[in-house]
Amino acid sequence: MSGLPIDPHLAWVNLPAMGHGLLINIIMTFLTLGIGLFTSLLVTLARMSKNRVISAVAGLYVVFFRGVPLLILLYLVYYGLGQIEGVRKGPLWLIFGSAFSCAIICLVLNHTAFMVEVVRGALEAVPVGLIEASRALGISPRHVFFRIRLPLAMRYGLKAYQNEVVMFAKGTAVVGTITVVDLTAVANGVFEETYDPFTPILTAAALYWVFVNTVRIGFYRLDQHLNRHLITDEMQRRSVVVPKKAETSRPSPVAIGIAIPAVRERVL
Amino acid sequence: MDLFSGEFTGYARQMLYGGLVTIQLFLSGFSLALVCGTAVGIVSLSRNAVVQGAYRVYLSIITGVPSLLIIFLIYYGGGAMLARVFGHSRSFDVTPFSAGVASLTIVYSVYIAELVRGAVRNLPRGQFEAAAALAIRPWAAWLYIIIPQLVRLALPGLINIWLIVLKDTPLVSLAGLNELVGTAKIAAGATKKPFLFFITASLFFILFSAVTLRLSALLERRFARGIAEVKA
Repeated sequence: MSGLPIDPHLAWVNLPAMGHGLLINIIMTFLTLGIGLFTSLLVTLARMSKNRVISAVAGLYVVFFRGVPLLILLYLVYYGLGQIEGVRKGPLWLIFGSAFSCAIICLVLNHTAFMVEVVRGALEAVPVGLIEASRALGISPRHVFFRIRLPLAMRYGLKAYQNEVVMFAKGTAVVGTITVVDLTAVANGVFEETYDPFTPILTAAALYWVFVNTVRIGFYRLDQHLNRHLITDEMQRRSVVVPKKAETSRPSPVAIGIAIPAVRERVL
Repeated sequence: MDLFSGEFTGYARQMLYGGLVTIQLFLSGFSLALVCGTAVGIVSLSRNAVVQGAYRVYLSIITGVPSLLIIFLIYYGGGAMLARVFGHSRSFDVTPFSAGVASLTIVYSVYIAELVRGAVRNLPRGQFEAAAALAIRPWAAWLYIIIPQLVRLALPGLINIWLIVLKDTPLVSLAGLNELVGTAKIAAGATKKPFLFFITASLFFILFSAVTLRLSALLERRFARGIAEVKA
């Protein structure tokens, strides 16, 4: 009994196509993350708005797009909007006619909905006293938000953001269903040609694993960079107070006001 | 198409059936993952280096690979894997449904195991020490003392996973299972009414989540009885 029957030659031959597929996933992930930063901040501010109508609309948006599986959303946009005559004839077809842009739209809608809770949790984790102090110093509300509240919130929310980004990056695997030639679609294609059940899927899985863990390492570095003052503090304290048997997992300095579940911030 | 034509009622019945398949898939996948995940989580607390290493590898693979690929791997390769384990004499037919249940179990066991590990770590050490001091056997201590308390600690995270598993079930339709979303796609393609069927499917998921969230609030209150609420 050997291990799983993997055909190294087949894996090697298909590696360029798979790499191209992975590139599509990577581009999609980062494009969505970039757009998502703006849209999620916008929707979060709408959600936290004192105007009840705006807040309710944003709330409805969040409930809908968090509750709907990404797959349905993709079908709805790609197969649904194409049925509307006005969309097919009008200039919007430039956007909705291509599977790639449809996928981006769905991913942004989905990602933004999940980000609202992350951003809100992070913004609310900033101590109120700090904001009051800034106001008392006569700093304008706009500056209080962009210079004081937002930078601090970024640190508090980084762990939750990482969870969301990792889950979301893995979620891009379904875009193949609307004819985008991503990594999973390439792997599936190879399977259908060769009927080798292990090689293409395992190769794709390995590529994905590398991608996801690169993202994780990036976040770890960013976390260390943003919280460098806290980390040195922590390490000094640990070395003085608890010289032995310290908990291996560092109690995260970002865990000030927001609960960070071990799994994922995605709750309805 | 007339909304009350035979064609429409036919697809409506299929959607209903698809919804049932989704619920079956979801409940069996989640409950199996709950049982396996709790077991894996408790076993992984062992100090044994082999157990630790195996758990690390399992965790890393599952959290680094999309569940869709796991579903495909088990659906395409499950038969060959089973044939390897049980010998080539018998042939194994992996249905999309069983592949879906198996992959949901394999994937979400890890997330539940992580949750259980976190909950055990958050439990006061005194509970274990007291159980040991009272000479309660480890088996009984886990069953009657530790696990009941874990439920309270792990419940919020568990509800999170519950909703994630629910939203992962449509992925099994890509392995050929005609559950709700798969059926909706077929019906939408045949009737050229994509919005009708896809919005119906979305509402199913949203309503299902809303109902669970209501129930979960009750559950949380039930398991938190006897614990004083901290007033902020």
